[in-house]
Amino acid sequence: MTKENENRRDENSMGRINLTIDGQRVEVDEGRTVLQAATEAGIVIPTICDHKDLSPFGACRMCIVEIDGVRGYPTSCTTPASAGMVVRTQSEELRILRKRILELMLSGHPNSCLVCPHREQCEKYRPRPTKAGRSTRCGFCSNRDECNVRTLALAAKSQDLEIPTLYTSYNLERSDPFMDRDYNLCILCGRCWRICEKIHGVPAISIINRGKWARIGTAFDKSHVDSGCTFCGACIDICPTGTLTDRYARWYGRPSAETPSACTLCPEGCSMLALTQGKQLIANRMEAFSPKSSLCSLGRFAYPQVVNSTERLTRPMVREGGELIPADWEAALHATAELLRQPGRKAILAGESSTREDRHLYSKLADALGATLGIVPAVSGGEGLQPEGLMAGLKNGEIQTVIAAGDFLDDAALNQIRHLVVVDCLASTASESAHVVLPAAVLSESAGTWRNATGAVKTVAAVSAPPGEARPEWQIVSDLAKVMGLDGLDYATASEITSEITGDFAPQPLSANPRFSVRNLPGRFRGHFLADTVRSLEAFGLPSSPHKAAEEIAADGFLLLEKREIIPNFHLLKIQAPPVAKYAKAGQFVILMARETSERVPFTLVDWNPEEGSITVIIEEVGRSSRELISLKQGAKIAHVSGPLGLPFPIDKQAPPAGQGSAESTAPTNGEGKGTVVLGGGCYGIGAIYPIARALKEAGYEVICAIEGCNEHMLYMENEIRSVCHDLLVATKDGSRGTHGGVQEIFTGLVESGRRIDFFIAIGCTFMMRMASEATQPFGIPTYVALNPIMVDGTGMCGACRVSIDGKTKFACADGPIFDGHSLDWDELFSRRSAYSREEIEALPQAAEIVTLGG
Amino acid sequence: MSLFKELQQQARAEWEQFSQPSRPRVLIGSATCGRAAGSLEVLRAFETELEKRGLKAEMDVVEVGCLGMCYAEVLVEIRGRDGKRVLYHGVDPRQVPRLVESHLVRGEPLLTRALAVMDGTSLDGVPSFDQMPMIRNQVRVVLRNCGVIDPANLNHYIARGGYSGLERALQMSCEEVIEEVKASGVRGRGGAGFPTGLKWQFARKSPGDVKYVICNADEGDPGAFMDRSVLEGDPHAVLEGLAISGYAIGASTGYVYCRAEYPLAVERIQGAIAQMRENRLLGKNILGSDFSFDIQLKKGAGAFVCGEETALMQSIEGRRGMPRSRPPYPAVAGLFGKPTNINNVETLAAVSAILEKGAAWYAAYGTEKSRGTKTFALAGKINRTGLIEVPMGIPLRTVIEEIGGGVLAGKKFKAVQTGGPSGGCIPARHMDIPVDYEHLAEVGSIMGSGGMVVMDEGSCMVDVARYFLTFTENESCGKCVPCRMGTQHLLRMLTDIAEGHGTSEQIETMKKISDTMMKASLCGLGQTAPNPVLTTLRYFEDEYRAHVENRKCPAGVCREIIRFSVDAEACTGCRACIPVCPTEAITGELKEVHEINQELCIRCGSCRDVCKFDAVHVE
Repeated sequence: MTKENENRRDENSMGRINLTIDGQRVEVDEGRTVLQAATEAGIVIPTICDHKDLSPFGACRMCIVEIDGVRGYPTSCTTPASAGMVVRTQSEELRILRKRILELMLSGHPNSCLVCPHREQCEKYRPRPTKAGRSTRCGFCSNRDECNVRTLALAAKSQDLEIPTLYTSYNLERSDPFMDRDYNLCILCGRCWRICEKIHGVPAISIINRGKWARIGTAFDKSHVDSGCTFCGACIDICPTGTLTDRYARWYGRPSAETPSACTLCPEGCSMLALTQGKQLIANRMEAFSPKSSLCSLGRFAYPQVVNSTERLTRPMVREGGELIPADWEAALHATAELLRQPGRKAILAGESSTREDRHLYSKLADALGATLGIVPAVSGGEGLQPEGLMAGLKNGEIQTVIAAGDFLDDAALNQIRHLVVVDCLASTASESAHVVLPAAVLSESAGTWRNATGAVKTVAAVSAPPGEARPEWQIVSDLAKVMGLDGLDYATASEITSEITGDFAPQPLSANPRFSVRNLPGRFRGHFLADTVRSLEAFGLPSSPHKAAEEIAADGFLLLEKREIIPNFHLLKIQAPPVAKYAKAGQFVILMARETSERVPFTLVDWNPEEGSITVIIEEVGRSSRELISLKQGAKIAHVSGPLGLPFPIDKQAPPAGQGSAESTAPTNGEGKGTVVLGGGCYGIGAIYPIARALKEAGYEVICAIEGCNEHMLYMENEIRSVCHDLLVATKDGSRGTHGGVQEIFTGLVESGRRIDFFIAIGCTFMMRMASEATQPFGIPTYVALNPIMVDGTGMCGACRVSIDGKTKFACADGPIFDGHSLDWDELFSRRSAYSREEIEALPQAAEIVTLGG
Repeated sequence: MSLFKELQQQARAEWEQFSQPSRPRVLIGSATCGRAAGSLEVLRAFETELEKRGLKAEMDVVEVGCLGMCYAEVLVEIRGRDGKRVLYHGVDPRQVPRLVESHLVRGEPLLTRALAVMDGTSLDGVPSFDQMPMIRNQVRVVLRNCGVIDPANLNHYIARGGYSGLERALQMSCEEVIEEVKASGVRGRGGAGFPTGLKWQFARKSPGDVKYVICNADEGDPGAFMDRSVLEGDPHAVLEGLAISGYAIGASTGYVYCRAEYPLAVERIQGAIAQMRENRLLGKNILGSDFSFDIQLKKGAGAFVCGEETALMQSIEGRRGMPRSRPPYPAVAGLFGKPTNINNVETLAAVSAILEKGAAWYAAYGTEKSRGTKTFALAGKINRTGLIEVPMGIPLRTVIEEIGGGVLAGKKFKAVQTGGPSGGCIPARHMDIPVDYEHLAEVGSIMGSGGMVVMDEGSCMVDVARYFLTFTENESCGKCVPCRMGTQHLLRMLTDIAEGHGTSEQIETMKKISDTMMKASLCGLGQTAPNPVLTTLRYFEDEYRAHVENRKCPAGVCREIIRFSVDAEACTGCRACIPVCPTEAITGELKEVHEINQELCIRCGSCRDVCKFDAVHVE
């Protein structure tokens, strides 16, 4: 062997060590931890707090192992592998310890779904988690599909927990831009503050307080805006639970693709990963968890909200008779060509945030038309337009025909320009006064390349579909050239243009890097104020156009007498509505509108007091409308209360309600000659069964009530319900109280105990009512359910709430809401209820916490 | 003459003057314990009185540290013109004129207020200090100067042998110093008992140009105040030990991490560091040697967990005080990632004595495996609370009965809790074990830093466990799951049991949680937090059972399940209990049997405490 080879062999073997893990000989680089060594050898050790991009921490304790010669149970994530080490990752003792550690961890994290006997069925019928405010269980958690705790718990198959769940009841924090934080889900793995420290040096967050009050927070509990947080989103992206979430992206679910791309919002031109679901961009994320890959809050959070803005221009428009009229591309391009054929000096204004390909074609078009090409810096509103003097020419009327690819023109210029074509993505004063408006595909909708301030050329990937008929700018120019008969501008793809580009300049860098502070963020994109489109940015002091403040609550309406959160995410509202209170009957509902502009939403009446003129409803926060209602404070006004609506439950008839179903008349089972009825309530339905139970008891029935909650903390109104029934039974999905399971287990148990039951009533979520109905079907005992389909008017006009009973269409509002659960087409109900799930997500408020007045 | 000889000469001269029998002098115990009892007011009273009488120039009034007899503060030692030194206890500013008049002016010690005579003789029934039951069993190594010297006076320290240990060490090689410490057998006094010399050796051998030594003065156990007393009464003893450790391992910087809640200790350390710098005991070329070393004081904010060495180092680095996993051990990668040696206050104070007097002298005290002496803070239901130092291996009974004077008010001894929140309760039947690391561990407790809380028959062991778990639940840093969640669950279950709605299953679950915490927690806090639960369960499970099965608290402590009543036979109708009841629950006419309204009673026990006839019963 030559000396050189020998050296090489030494180099190769140097720094490699051998150890034994589970009897397997493992060779790894020196300096690796035991956990890394095991992972390299394909041996799986459970862990939560460890992450490949973070240094070892040793907080979750799940990765404990046994090592010969080492006392106790060291954590493999923190123990350096050393030569000759003998490690065991599996033993009976380790299994028991890990099970108990996991159980301790779960006792501080909502866990009922993990031990619920109905989990698989539930996830089958409800493939997406409910958009709840607080996540009191996996089914309400936006991170359900990506949660490491859940994965670990399900893998451990640990169904019976010996120790109770401790719910900390921290407030849901939504007062910062872009992120929702629910520390009730936090297991303190520390990934968030560790990644913050890694990326920013000094972390904006850390563990604060001690003992049971230990949680993640900022110094002195300041808002994140004031804490030095740059809103890079790394903490959200690395959080293994649903504690830290991207308010905009959270409910869209797991992204279906991640595509490397680059941000073009400022001259930094950061590389990033575009996360999409189908053809929608839902978030951008840093390429890697490293300081040099970090993003600012515009790239991470604002970018997708600009792309998905409902204010986007979607159709070409041509001015006719003083008004902009939607037109097809053909007509709009011809109208543009017409304007450009007018004599006089012409100019094309393009922004630096457009791709190099877009700008190249603008440049070629300018050459072909003999126009001046003006380039506007990426974050400018028209200032800094090059060449110098061009803006003066626009303002003094020397140039009268202009193509503006952004909101670059002030009133002085707009007043002088006679022929204006706007190519843009958002409306502006320029587009409103333009002769032709051409909708542009921008950012993640338009493929191309981009040169950043360092001179690096980056690829911008087209990953999302442009809204409506919008087209990439290069394509608009190419199409226009065709209409005008200009040569040399015919391209089928952006990449055909790329190779032609020579001598383009790097943009001027910004004076301060937006990645270092939210105070450095640029305020404009294509001349538009970013904060006009993404209101959250106002929290950072970014400028916006004058606009109305947060929509005001109703000045007139129904007084909110009382409002309180009775259990996490469930709110009791007592409203002054004398006419409703006067005529209300058990089983009826009301439709509420928080504001004049709110959606109409039905809620079952839980109680009413004709003397006081008040009604009571229980509202669970599951979307925009319920959030608007629960955000009102005591003393505020609710814009509209309509009701009582629907048919009351026919207490005095012994036949089933409203001519549905075919229950036999009930045989007397007690002294008063009525029968025995069992009411089951879950979620808001616990409140909803209360008036029906009361009415049935008053009418002489023997009433048994059954209530269910995901755990013992999620039960409410027990005393009230106990007072209106003969027997109250409880079920919890985690087995923490009463029957382990739900109302259906109680129903089945009662029948199987030989008790004579005349009919059942189940009120709760659609899933719960379906399960209850299916459970009682084999026994042939009538089971009534109070349906909750989407409703609009609540009086039988719109038909939105239609359901099928024995193949016949019924309206839940006018013919119900109570129907025979055995005759209902449940699949249809599920599918109709989820018809607007995407729109419901899009409608969720993005600004920091809705500001509420009143009180 | 060498630099140190000069220092010594100067120091001895001052000490001689201070000790001159013909010069009257007043020493006032003014550590925190003395100050809490009013020593500063007493000091001012002496100064005013001597001024008034025009005696100020001929007499010294000096603040000294704590003699350890905290139960007897304010302690004042007066040396009259005849050289007789008498220790007075419970001194109040109002008594000062009489003391001055009698002892200092007339030369007649005021025997009614005297506790002891300090110079080896006795006087009309006042015992000699050395022969007092609290003192005679003690061997004061760490506390050698406490209460004896003016802690703010470097000369006093040097005159009594101070810094000769450092001087000697500097003439030895680093390895020889380590060997000396190893030979002494001294083990870490912070609680874990790791052999100090071995620890130094690891840090010495660890490669690195920059190394650190740290003095852990973050004493946090409830009821423990050994370190505070040493720092307040003899700061140089600790700093000398730190400098010796720095020399031995090759460090050029030392840190003292002291909690900010010890303002007097902080002041003393700062003063002592300044004196060291002025006298070339710190800085470049200490005492003319090649060794350069400096000490910085870092104030801790009072988190209990910052007493854990890795958490403490994080705190010095300016980060949140949270322990980290070992390995790497601090000896390899400690403060700022550099090899670091960290010792407790008491260990370092012993080290300076060991280097002064030799390993063999120190090793002569104690037992085979636990050499030397150990300080303890006696607290709880004991007659003589205070700070003591005893040779290792002394029977626990001697500590409690002789030194501590037995249980208060003649009640029955039930248990002693050693080791603070990490320790355990030792029941009466183990009273004869020798106090050393091995025997304490054998009975389920630990040496810990030296807290000893005595409990009598009126202490409920469920309540005791609950007390310590309340502490650890609050003080867990929250980093690792077993400790953060385990302490919460243990406390909740103990609370359930104390309130009378506990179950037998909960007792079993507590054992499982405790086992998990001990095996899987990251640091010593979590690993030992279940000890109060486990030892009380081990020795007093019947008491737990009584709470769970009969809803009864045998000691009559747990408010939710006890009931106070008046014994009609014993009640004399004296009405003493009526005004002390905070809820006006007691009614009754003079000389008639009183009655307690159970609806109003909050079971505070005030009536029982005030009753002279034992007529208030608890069940």
